[in-house]
Amino acid sequence: MVQYSERLDTTFAALADATRRGVLERLGRGDASIGELATGFEMTLTGMKKHVRVLEDAGLVTTEKVGRVRSCRLGPRRLEDELAWMAGYRRMLEARLDRLDELLKRTKGRTE
Amino acid sequence: MTTGQAVKQRAAKAAVSTPTDREIRVERIFDAPRERVWRAFTDPALLAQWWGRGNKLVVERYELERGGHWRFVEHADDGVHGFEGRFREVTPPERLAMTFEWDGMPGYVAVETTVFEDLGDGRTRLVATTLFHTTEERDGMLGAMGEGLDQSYAALDRLLAGTA
Repeated sequence: MVQYSERLDTTFAALADATRRGVLERLGRGDASIGELATGFEMTLTGMKKHVRVLEDAGLVTTEKVGRVRSCRLGPRRLEDELAWMAGYRRMLEARLDRLDELLKRTKGRTE
Repeated sequence: MTTGQAVKQRAAKAAVSTPTDREIRVERIFDAPRERVWRAFTDPALLAQWWGRGNKLVVERYELERGGHWRFVEHADDGVHGFEGRFREVTPPERLAMTFEWDGMPGYVAVETTVFEDLGDGRTRLVATTLFHTTEERDGMLGAMGEGLDQSYAALDRLLAGTA
Protein backbone atom coordinates (compact mmCIF):
# COMPACT_ATOMS: atom_id res chain seq x y z
CA MET A 1 0.00 0.00 0.00
CA VAL A 2 1.45 3.33 -1.06
CA GLN A 3 0.82 5.98 1.56
CA TYR A 4 0.74 9.48 0.18
CA SER A 5 2.38 10.84 3.32
CA GLU A 6 5.43 8.68 2.73
CA ARG A 7 6.42 10.47 -0.45
CA LEU A 8 9.87 11.84 -0.37
CA ASP A 9 10.41 15.22 1.19
CA THR A 10 12.69 16.27 -1.64
CA THR A 11 9.81 16.00 -4.05
CA PHE A 12 7.66 18.23 -1.90
CA ALA A 13 10.46 20.72 -1.51
CA ALA A 14 11.06 20.74 -5.23
CA LEU A 15 7.37 21.30 -5.91
CA ALA A 16 6.96 23.99 -3.26
CA ASP A 17 8.27 26.71 -5.56
CA ALA A 18 6.09 28.29 -8.24
CA THR A 19 8.94 28.66 -10.74
CA ARG A 20 9.93 25.03 -10.38
CA ARG A 21 6.35 23.94 -10.88
CA GLY A 22 6.29 26.11 -13.97
CA VAL A 23 9.49 24.50 -15.23
CA LEU A 24 7.97 21.04 -14.82
CA GLU A 25 4.88 22.15 -16.66
CA ARG A 26 7.04 23.64 -19.44
CA LEU A 27 9.17 20.48 -19.74
CA GLY A 28 5.98 18.45 -19.88
CA ARG A 29 5.39 20.09 -23.25
CA GLY A 30 8.90 19.38 -24.51
CA ASP A 31 12.60 19.54 -23.67
CA ALA A 32 14.28 22.92 -23.24
CA SER A 33 17.73 24.31 -22.54
CA ILE A 34 18.48 26.16 -19.32
CA GLY A 35 18.86 29.30 -21.41
CA GLU A 36 15.40 28.86 -22.92
CA LEU A 37 13.91 28.23 -19.49
CA ALA A 38 15.65 31.29 -18.04
CA THR A 39 14.28 33.46 -20.85
CA GLY A 40 10.82 31.96 -20.54
CA PHE A 41 10.67 32.61 -16.82
CA GLU A 42 12.42 35.98 -17.05
CA MET A 43 15.30 35.14 -14.76
CA THR A 44 19.06 34.88 -14.87
CA LEU A 45 20.85 31.81 -16.11
CA THR A 46 22.34 31.32 -12.63
CA GLY A 47 18.93 31.53 -10.97
CA MET A 48 17.44 29.01 -13.36
CA LYS A 49 20.40 26.67 -12.90
CA LYS A 50 19.67 26.57 -9.17
CA HIS A 51 16.03 25.71 -9.74
CA VAL A 52 16.92 23.01 -12.24
CA ARG A 53 19.41 21.51 -9.80
CA VAL A 54 16.74 21.21 -7.10
CA LEU A 55 14.46 19.47 -9.58
CA GLU A 56 17.32 17.26 -10.70
CA ASP A 57 18.16 16.28 -7.13
CA ALA A 58 14.53 15.27 -6.65
CA GLY A 59 14.74 13.12 -9.77
CA LEU A 60 12.02 15.14 -11.45
CA VAL A 61 14.29 16.49 -14.18
CA THR A 62 17.37 15.18 -15.95
CA THR A 63 19.87 17.33 -17.80
CA GLU A 64 22.39 16.56 -20.50
CA LYS A 65 25.12 18.76 -21.85
CA VAL A 66 25.16 18.83 -25.62
CA GLY A 67 27.98 21.04 -26.83
CA ARG A 68 27.64 24.26 -24.88
CA VAL A 69 23.96 23.85 -24.19
CA ARG A 70 22.52 22.02 -21.20
CA SER A 71 19.26 20.41 -22.24
CA CYS A 72 16.57 19.61 -19.65
CA ARG A 73 13.77 17.11 -19.77
CA LEU A 74 11.41 15.48 -17.32
CA GLY A 75 13.23 12.99 -15.14
CA PRO A 76 12.74 9.35 -14.28
CA ARG A 77 10.44 10.15 -11.36
CA ARG A 78 7.45 11.65 -13.03
CA LEU A 79 5.62 11.96 -9.79
CA GLU A 80 4.47 15.50 -10.19
CA ASP A 81 1.17 14.63 -11.81
CA GLU A 82 0.44 11.89 -9.32
CA LEU A 83 1.34 14.14 -6.44
CA ALA A 84 -0.78 16.91 -7.84
CA TRP A 85 -3.93 14.95 -8.35
CA MET A 86 -3.43 12.96 -5.18
CA ALA A 87 -2.96 16.14 -3.17
CA GLY A 88 -6.00 17.65 -4.81
CA TYR A 89 -8.13 14.57 -4.35
CA ARG A 90 -6.96 14.05 -0.82
CA ARG A 91 -7.77 17.63 0.02
CA MET A 92 -11.22 17.27 -1.50
CA LEU A 93 -11.91 14.05 0.38
CA GLU A 94 -10.62 15.43 3.64
CA ALA A 95 -12.66 18.56 3.29
CA ARG A 96 -15.72 16.45 2.51
CA LEU A 97 -15.19 14.06 5.39
CA ASP A 98 -14.38 16.96 7.74
CA ARG A 99 -17.82 18.31 6.93
CA LEU A 100 -19.39 14.92 7.55
CA ASP A 101 -17.57 14.72 10.87
CA GLU A 102 -18.86 18.16 11.83
CA LEU A 103 -22.37 17.20 10.88
CA LEU A 104 -22.22 14.04 12.97
CA LYS A 105 -20.90 15.98 15.95
CA ARG A 106 -23.48 18.70 15.53
CA THR A 107 -26.35 16.25 15.46
CA LYS A 108 -25.00 14.03 18.23
CA GLY A 109 -27.52 12.96 20.81
CA ARG A 110 -30.51 13.86 18.66
CA THR A 111 -33.30 11.35 18.50
CA GLU A 112 -32.72 9.00 15.66
CA MET B 1 -2.92 -4.09 8.17
CA THR B 2 -1.10 -0.82 8.54
CA THR B 3 -4.12 1.39 8.14
CA GLY B 4 -5.11 1.29 11.80
CA GLN B 5 -1.76 2.71 12.70
CA ALA B 6 -1.99 5.34 9.99
CA VAL B 7 -5.34 6.46 11.33
CA LYS B 8 -3.99 6.67 14.87
CA GLN B 9 -1.01 8.72 13.79
CA ARG B 10 -3.10 11.21 11.92
CA ALA B 11 -5.85 11.36 14.51
CA ALA B 12 -9.18 11.68 12.74
CA LYS B 13 -7.73 12.54 9.36
CA ALA B 14 -8.55 10.47 6.33
CA ALA B 15 -5.95 7.97 5.16
CA VAL B 16 -5.84 8.12 1.38
CA SER B 17 -3.98 5.46 -0.55
CA THR B 18 -3.71 3.89 -3.98
CA PRO B 19 -3.96 0.13 -3.35
CA THR B 20 -3.81 -0.57 -7.10
CA ASP B 21 -3.15 1.60 -10.13
CA ARG B 22 -6.85 1.83 -10.86
CA GLU B 23 -8.12 2.49 -7.37
CA ILE B 24 -8.19 5.11 -4.71
CA ARG B 25 -9.07 4.15 -1.18
CA VAL B 26 -9.93 6.41 1.70
CA GLU B 27 -10.46 5.32 5.26
CA ARG B 28 -11.60 7.31 8.24
CA ILE B 29 -13.09 6.66 11.64
CA PHE B 30 -16.07 8.68 12.79
CA ASP B 31 -17.13 9.07 16.37
CA ALA B 32 -20.73 8.14 15.63
CA PRO B 33 -22.74 4.92 15.45
CA ARG B 34 -23.00 3.24 12.08
CA GLU B 35 -26.69 4.03 11.59
CA ARG B 36 -25.99 7.74 11.94
CA VAL B 37 -23.10 7.67 9.50
CA TRP B 38 -25.24 5.74 7.05
CA ARG B 39 -28.01 8.32 7.39
CA ALA B 40 -25.60 11.20 6.86
CA PHE B 41 -24.57 9.43 3.66
CA THR B 42 -27.99 8.57 2.34
CA ASP B 43 -30.38 11.29 3.53
CA PRO B 44 -30.32 13.98 0.79
CA ALA B 45 -30.93 16.77 3.32
CA LEU B 46 -27.90 15.64 5.34
CA LEU B 47 -25.77 14.86 2.29
CA ALA B 48 -26.21 18.40 1.02
CA GLN B 49 -24.61 19.65 4.22
CA TRP B 50 -21.25 17.96 3.75
CA TRP B 51 -20.67 16.56 0.27
CA GLY B 52 -20.07 20.00 -1.25
CA ARG B 53 -17.28 20.83 1.22
CA GLY B 54 -18.89 24.13 2.13
CA ASN B 55 -20.03 24.83 -1.42
CA LYS B 56 -23.72 24.91 -2.14
CA LEU B 57 -24.84 21.45 -3.16
CA VAL B 58 -28.13 20.73 -4.90
CA VAL B 59 -29.26 17.11 -4.74
CA GLU B 60 -31.26 16.88 -7.96
CA ARG B 61 -31.97 13.17 -7.78
CA TYR B 62 -31.45 10.58 -5.11
CA GLU B 63 -33.26 7.31 -5.72
CA LEU B 64 -31.70 5.13 -3.07
CA GLU B 65 -32.27 1.67 -4.50
CA ARG B 66 -30.44 -0.65 -6.84
CA GLY B 67 -30.50 0.92 -10.29
CA GLY B 68 -31.73 4.24 -8.91
CA HIS B 69 -30.33 7.49 -10.21
CA TRP B 70 -28.44 10.10 -8.24
CA ARG B 71 -27.30 13.54 -9.34
CA PHE B 72 -25.55 16.28 -7.37
CA VAL B 73 -24.74 19.77 -8.58
CA GLU B 74 -22.01 21.63 -6.72
CA HIS B 75 -21.80 25.40 -6.97
CA ALA B 76 -18.12 26.18 -6.46
CA ASP B 77 -16.13 29.39 -6.88
CA ASP B 78 -14.79 28.16 -10.20
CA GLY B 79 -18.15 27.17 -11.59
CA VAL B 80 -20.93 24.62 -11.41
CA HIS B 81 -20.01 20.94 -11.39
CA GLY B 82 -22.45 18.11 -11.90
CA PHE B 83 -21.88 14.56 -10.68
CA GLU B 84 -24.16 11.63 -11.26
CA GLY B 85 -24.55 7.90 -11.45
CA ARG B 86 -26.68 4.96 -10.45
CA PHE B 87 -26.75 2.84 -7.35
CA ARG B 88 -25.37 -0.65 -7.78
CA GLU B 89 -25.77 -1.89 -4.24
CA VAL B 90 -27.75 -0.50 -1.32
CA THR B 91 -27.35 -2.57 1.85
CA PRO B 92 -28.17 -0.43 4.89
CA PRO B 93 -26.30 0.29 7.04
CA GLU B 94 -23.30 -1.67 5.75
CA ARG B 95 -22.55 -1.11 2.13
CA LEU B 96 -23.26 1.34 -0.63
CA ALA B 97 -21.98 1.05 -4.20
CA MET B 98 -22.67 3.45 -7.02
CA THR B 99 -21.35 4.52 -10.36
CA PHE B 100 -19.80 7.95 -10.51
CA GLU B 101 -19.48 10.30 -13.44
CA TRP B 102 -18.41 13.90 -13.56
CA ASP B 103 -20.00 16.18 -16.16
CA GLY B 104 -16.50 17.37 -17.05
CA MET B 105 -15.60 13.90 -18.34
CA PRO B 106 -18.86 12.38 -19.53
CA GLY B 107 -18.78 8.67 -20.28
CA TYR B 108 -15.86 7.98 -17.96
CA VAL B 109 -17.48 5.95 -15.23
CA ALA B 110 -15.92 4.98 -11.92
CA VAL B 111 -17.45 2.73 -9.27
CA GLU B 112 -17.50 3.94 -5.68
CA THR B 113 -17.98 1.39 -2.94
CA THR B 114 -18.41 2.57 0.62
CA VAL B 115 -18.28 0.14 3.53
CA PHE B 116 -19.50 1.18 6.97
CA GLU B 117 -17.91 -0.88 9.70
CA ASP B 118 -19.36 -0.86 13.22
CA LEU B 119 -16.38 -0.75 15.59
CA GLY B 120 -18.57 -1.78 18.52
CA ASP B 121 -17.68 1.23 20.66
CA GLY B 122 -20.02 3.78 19.15
CA ARG B 123 -17.58 4.55 16.37
CA THR B 124 -17.70 3.69 12.69
CA ARG B 125 -14.92 3.01 10.25
CA LEU B 126 -15.68 4.18 6.78
CA VAL B 127 -13.76 2.71 3.87
CA ALA B 128 -14.51 4.16 0.46
CA THR B 129 -12.90 2.69 -2.64
CA THR B 130 -13.18 4.19 -6.09
CA LEU B 131 -12.37 1.88 -8.99
CA PHE B 132 -11.59 3.44 -12.34
CA HIS B 133 -11.65 1.75 -15.72
CA THR B 134 -8.00 2.59 -16.44
CA THR B 135 -5.13 4.29 -14.62
CA GLU B 136 -5.32 7.11 -17.16
CA GLU B 137 -8.97 7.68 -16.37
CA ARG B 138 -8.25 7.74 -12.66
CA ASP B 139 -5.46 10.25 -13.07
CA GLY B 140 -7.31 12.23 -15.69
CA MET B 141 -10.50 12.57 -13.73
CA LEU B 142 -8.84 13.43 -10.48
CA GLY B 143 -6.34 15.74 -12.07
CA ALA B 144 -9.03 17.71 -13.82
CA MET B 145 -11.81 17.45 -11.29
CA GLY B 146 -12.64 20.64 -9.49
CA GLU B 147 -9.31 20.86 -7.74
CA GLY B 148 -7.01 22.60 -10.19
CA LEU B 149 -3.28 22.28 -10.03
CA ASP B 150 -2.99 25.55 -8.14
CA GLN B 151 -5.14 24.25 -5.34
CA SER B 152 -3.29 20.98 -5.35
CA TYR B 153 0.00 22.72 -5.03
CA ALA B 154 -1.42 24.92 -2.32
CA ALA B 155 -2.11 21.70 -0.46
CA LEU B 156 1.47 20.60 -1.00
CA ASP B 157 2.67 23.96 0.25
CA ARG B 158 0.60 23.62 3.39
CA LEU B 159 1.88 20.12 3.88
CA LEU B 160 5.42 21.41 3.61
CA ALA B 161 4.72 24.24 6.01
CA GLY B 162 3.34 21.76 8.49
CA THR B 163 6.30 19.41 8.27
CA ALA B 164 9.07 22.02 7.99
